[in-house]
Amino acid sequence: MPDPVIRIDSVTKRFPGVVALNNVSLEVIPGELHSICGENGAGKSTLMKILSGVLTDYEGELLVKGIPTRFNGTRAAEAAGISIIHQELNLVEELSAAANIFLGREIRNRFGLLDNRAMEDEARELLEQLECEIDPRVLAGSLRVGDQQLLEIAKALSLKTDILIMDEPTSALTESEVERFYRVIQRLRERHVTILYISHKMDEIFRLSDRITVLRDGHLVETLNRDETTLRKVTHLMVGREIEEVDIGAERSAGDVVLEVENLWLPWPGHARAWRLQDISFSLRKGEILGIAGLMGAGRTELLECLFGASEEIPRGRIRLEGNPVVFRHPSEAKLAGIAMVTEDRKRLGIFSDMSVRENISICTLHETLRGGLVNSAKERKLAGEMIDSLRVRTAGDEAAITSLSGGNQQKTIIGRWLLTKPKVLLLDDPTRGVDVGAKAELYRLMDTLCGQGIAIVLTSSELPELLTVSDRILVLSEGSLTASFNRAEATEQKIMEAATLGGTANSAARRFSKS
Amino acid sequence: MATKNSTAGPGASFLRRHLTEIVLLLGCVVVFAFTAYVNDAYIRLFQYNIQHIIRYTSMLGIFAIGAAIVIISGGIDLSSGSMIAFGGMICCMVISVLAQAIAPDAADPTSGVPSWVIVVAVCSTLGVGVLVGTLHAWLITIVGLPPFVATLASLVGLRSLALIMTKAVTKWQGQQAFKINIQDETFMDIGSVWWIPLLIFVVVACLAWLLMNRTIVGRHLYAMGGNEEAARLSGIRTDRLKWLAYCMGTMTAAIAGILFSSEVGSSDPQTQGVGYELYAIAAAVVGGCSLQGGVGRITGVVLGALFLRVVIDAVAKLIGSGSSDYEGLIVGLLVVLAVAFNQLSDQAGGWKKQFFPGLLGWAAIPTIGCLVGASVLTPEGNPLLGLIAAAVTCVVLSIMKLAADFAGKKEA
Repeated sequence: MPDPVIRIDSVTKRFPGVVALNNVSLEVIPGELHSICGENGAGKSTLMKILSGVLTDYEGELLVKGIPTRFNGTRAAEAAGISIIHQELNLVEELSAAANIFLGREIRNRFGLLDNRAMEDEARELLEQLECEIDPRVLAGSLRVGDQQLLEIAKALSLKTDILIMDEPTSALTESEVERFYRVIQRLRERHVTILYISHKMDEIFRLSDRITVLRDGHLVETLNRDETTLRKVTHLMVGREIEEVDIGAERSAGDVVLEVENLWLPWPGHARAWRLQDISFSLRKGEILGIAGLMGAGRTELLECLFGASEEIPRGRIRLEGNPVVFRHPSEAKLAGIAMVTEDRKRLGIFSDMSVRENISICTLHETLRGGLVNSAKERKLAGEMIDSLRVRTAGDEAAITSLSGGNQQKTIIGRWLLTKPKVLLLDDPTRGVDVGAKAELYRLMDTLCGQGIAIVLTSSELPELLTVSDRILVLSEGSLTASFNRAEATEQKIMEAATLGGTANSAARRFSKS
Repeated sequence: MATKNSTAGPGASFLRRHLTEIVLLLGCVVVFAFTAYVNDAYIRLFQYNIQHIIRYTSMLGIFAIGAAIVIISGGIDLSSGSMIAFGGMICCMVISVLAQAIAPDAADPTSGVPSWVIVVAVCSTLGVGVLVGTLHAWLITIVGLPPFVATLASLVGLRSLALIMTKAVTKWQGQQAFKINIQDETFMDIGSVWWIPLLIFVVVACLAWLLMNRTIVGRHLYAMGGNEEAARLSGIRTDRLKWLAYCMGTMTAAIAGILFSSEVGSSDPQTQGVGYELYAIAAAVVGGCSLQGGVGRITGVVLGALFLRVVIDAVAKLIGSGSSDYEGLIVGLLVVLAVAFNQLSDQAGGWKKQFFPGLLGWAAIPTIGCLVGASVLTPEGNPLLGLIAAAVTCVVLSIMKLAADFAGKKEA
């Protein structure tokens, strides 16, 4: 085996409350295509951020081409020949393709002015090498996503990159773009570029990789040769943790149907896949927890937003609440009808960071505190205080700033905000993200209690064990379509993972693999 | 400032939450006492001076409150100055037209008009304020313009429109003019009797305080200013709230427009309220509002307006003639100081930072020197004084920079 081009030696990265990478050691051989897989939150992104110089503060050692290295920024990583192509592309849309490639190291003529001609010529040459017909003079923003991605690859090549990190590169591509992308990968390999490839799509990984490394919960589980393993084995390694003893909600009994969704389509204007959600139908009963599984971008949040009247586009299809057809054009209408939603990104979409715990709890139900048309602060405090007590929110008091609370307690505050509206249906979008283990268990018990009171809950989560622990039924979304539905008894992580990685273009290929 | 943990006793947390107000109040007292000490005429004409400050604070405070409500709700209203001119014009126009209709043959129809005419005029002006606010809200929420652009268009457009309408109305009445004059004494009293603006200011402030602190709408305005998307996802109708906020902004400016016109007995679109939108924003910012939205209190804005006027008045008394030239400079300086004070107190070790690092630091030192030098120039003063002040500032700041650089190097 040749000397590794990258050696990662016992790298540990801690974030407040979480160990994102735990003593990970990995070697990357020159010229190989090395895939990194793992569930959401397994530590893939953290590892790539360390390699590309985005994260500079970690324990352990990194050797690039045999030299111990510690990058102090992405520039340093680029100088060492490592470039990263993020899932969210990093282009200045208002500049031309050529200008984007040479951003920050523009070619100048002898008067010190920009030499656009030289940059365009060089850009054209780079793009031709990638068999890609982009005019270097067009604005980056006017290109399709697939072309934008090739532009980023061209930029990386112009940096004399020999190690390229790609984070979910095909997630936004159409079928034909994916094929072209595979050909580009082949060309890169002919140039002996080492590629680190992150993807959720198993068919892709098995088609492209030489070796596959599986991460789980911040640990490196195993590095496998592609030829010596199977898709089944890899998915098993990805999810294969000991499943905790399930004792929550075993004897829950669902009541009447509260919510029915029939043939729901959500348009996605300006995107290659014209529909964000395609033909979704399901029903939800009183007192049950319906889990929604799916990878990033599968449409989990969008589905909840449709039910809550918060989607950007108006969905097509029928939604019936307690038998009556409903159309919500604004969340206030959904709130009035008895639907509540706890949003995914707590900081950005949930809390009011300038306000106190009391104000954050009472914001949806201030009308109950009115006396003579004015908000009565005694009533408001009573309302908030009771909710703080019943959910056991740990806070210095109802006047404490919301930002002084831990993630789990902030989440309870927001759940409390919505429980005050006495909802029939509670939509929880990844409620335990960024919440520590103890608080997670408390949130699970809380959901169970609410079910006992007859509330119907729809729960999404990026963690499968969580869905398996609390859900009565689990629906699986993949690229906007419903690909499977499991009862509590029949659901396993393996089955869900397979259904979640099936989808659109990858469908047939993945089926072939899962049979082998 | 409002987001600090309030685990201390209720007294301490009250002090902390109202730090801005306390500092402003103390500032007013200090500036006032200092002026009185230096300039003995200040005390001799005590009653006149106080009334003067109160009248102008009220006139500024009324539309500063409107501007502050817009800022707290997460927007910005640049139209106040032109809305003042436009509102004044509408009010005078209605009185003038009605007066002529009632007494077409009188030599001077606009004196001694029945009081119902004035009531109608005031109501129409407020109505026009609502219309302009509605236009802003429509442009922002439906058309999708940034608040800055929508209200900027009003800032430049309304003043021009006011002038066009003034010319049209005066021509139609006989003699084309740039102003509409109103001779009526009752009307002129509204703005010139010192306690009437104060009374209106107090009423507006109390209503605004009630709205912002004791009603659902007020709480929702704070929520929307702090996090608009979270507010929408909490079932708050953010579009309607914006409509209300922008109407508050233009209605308060319309009220101020009536006062400014009645003070001089005419509407003058070319000069009235020019640049006042920035004074209103300045008062709000000095009073503790964050331009990011969600933060600020009506009490702070009231004191912010008072502080601005007290300082402007003090400088006027100290300099004497030509003092109005200094108004803009003072407002600019106070805004920078107030916001810098808020920012730096919020950052850990904010005051200890190196203020003149690297190349930008070297470039900033002569800039500030020139500013100081130019500011001490007075028409009668010695030009040499400015040069000396500039040089001394540069030297002092350079020494500070070198000392900080040296300390920084030592640490590394």
